[in-house]
Amino acid sequence: MHRPTLMPTPMSRRSFLLRASAAGTTGLMGTWGWKAAAATLVELPFANGQREIVTNFPQKGAMLLQRTRPPLLETPFEVFDHGVFTPNDRFYVRWHLANIPTTIDTGAFRLSVRGHVREQLSLTLDDLVREFQPFEIAAVNQCSGNSRGFFKPRVPGGEWANGAMGNALWRGARLKDVLDRAGVNAGALQVRFNGLDTGVIPQTPDFMKSLALDHARDGEVMIAYAMNGEPLPLLNGFPLRLVVPGWYATYWVKMLNDIEVLNEADDNFWTTKAYLIPDTPHASVDPGQQGVRMIPINRMVPRSFFTNVQDGAVLKVGQTTTLRGIAFGGDAAVAKVFFSSDAGGRWKEARLGPDRGKYGFRRWEVMLRPSSPGAQRLMIKAQNTAGSVQPNQANWNGSGFMRNVIESVSVQAV
Amino acid sequence: MNLIVRIVRWIWTVPSLLVIALGGGLAWSQATSSASATSPGASGWQWSNVSVALPTSETSFPPGDGAEITPQCLICHSAGMVLRQPPLTREQWVGEINKMRSAYGAPLPADQVDRLADYLFRINGASASHTAKMSTP
Repeated sequence: MHRPTLMPTPMSRRSFLLRASAAGTTGLMGTWGWKAAAATLVELPFANGQREIVTNFPQKGAMLLQRTRPPLLETPFEVFDHGVFTPNDRFYVRWHLANIPTTIDTGAFRLSVRGHVREQLSLTLDDLVREFQPFEIAAVNQCSGNSRGFFKPRVPGGEWANGAMGNALWRGARLKDVLDRAGVNAGALQVRFNGLDTGVIPQTPDFMKSLALDHARDGEVMIAYAMNGEPLPLLNGFPLRLVVPGWYATYWVKMLNDIEVLNEADDNFWTTKAYLIPDTPHASVDPGQQGVRMIPINRMVPRSFFTNVQDGAVLKVGQTTTLRGIAFGGDAAVAKVFFSSDAGGRWKEARLGPDRGKYGFRRWEVMLRPSSPGAQRLMIKAQNTAGSVQPNQANWNGSGFMRNVIESVSVQAV
Repeated sequence: MNLIVRIVRWIWTVPSLLVIALGGGLAWSQATSSASATSPGASGWQWSNVSVALPTSETSFPPGDGAEITPQCLICHSAGMVLRQPPLTREQWVGEINKMRSAYGAPLPADQVDRLADYLFRINGASASHTAKMSTP
């Protein structure tokens, strides 16, 4: 399904890459540290945004290298133009701790369910596949800090552009069914999830996340053993990953091997100290603002993107062009996607593609026929079925979380 | 880099390309996979072991006063994470270093914080006037 992509004429991707390599750039990375040998570089549109495109990570195709160890790999944005499901080998990768098992013995692997339960479980992978009703759901997995590189002022962290997200068809067992098998005792409050990864030194807190018991038992939270019909790539959590539809990816614990039912609130570092957002509209504060109540990050918010047109694209006056992209609703389905060709003056509804699940990506498409030459600022915004709509103004917080401002591209009609 | 990847094969998996045509001459296309041809309880379902090798980083910190401390950073993460940060104020670099020490247990003595912050600010610093002070949640 190859379709031509509207690439900006003065800065096509090819020329962009050539420019980046030829100029050597004056930025931080220009003078040292790069393997000289034919690295393909791209320039993300923010300071210190030069990234190498790498193909040397296992089970992964071409990815933007954010960090080698532990791996942070961003999906090149053009991948999102190809369809609403993100291929496994292009799905972004994000690990906190560098002690990641590189060999999984699937026969020896066990998922334990323990804590405040009637009966502890130690499940094999075959147990999980054969003894529980399979469940499938399409859902977007998005890093809490996706698009952090666009924050102004900038904040430290993984400096992603918009590619720390992906949509997959997940297949596995409902967490509810697994918890019911173990039998949750009265008084249980939360469920904590741990994976096989650990810190390099014992002082580093093990990565664990928790959900409220009611959320864990909602029938949608699941333990995935397949992603787009295949086993998960190891770097996406093989053999098992928690899937928390509509919630940020920090909760989607990879290489999940331990589920603990708690009868008191989880006090582990990653739940109480990390991944906190201001308890304000759009999790937004003024830079430097103090004394704001902080809460754990939770539900995702709607977003939409152009996928076949970029800044600098040239359109022909009088000629109809099909613009398209993707949208997702966050913790509710996409209701409508609106398009503006005059910088937000007037909005019209975009045509939506097939609904592949309320938590997944959805295609949108509009026809644009520029009537006169000149610059045009195109905008796209999504509204979900709960009424939440992308804001006009970018949010800001010190962790670079939850960006979902209306996206825009500037084009030239000639 | 030699990658030894033994990819798991599942017999029940049939990747397919689905094209759904809508009215008005628009065609929506999507690559998808059908995983429901056989139920997972069927005999076709097989797990295989997976073994991979992860690449190592060849990016190094630039030389300079304080660079001798950076091996402590590399215990837990490669240098690229630091070098790809936006230019930060010295105060922000101090904050990052102390987060590594207090939250993640980086074995970095308190009396080395200033020297490392000076170094990081020198290789990737921003003047305070260009970057707002951060609240550190």
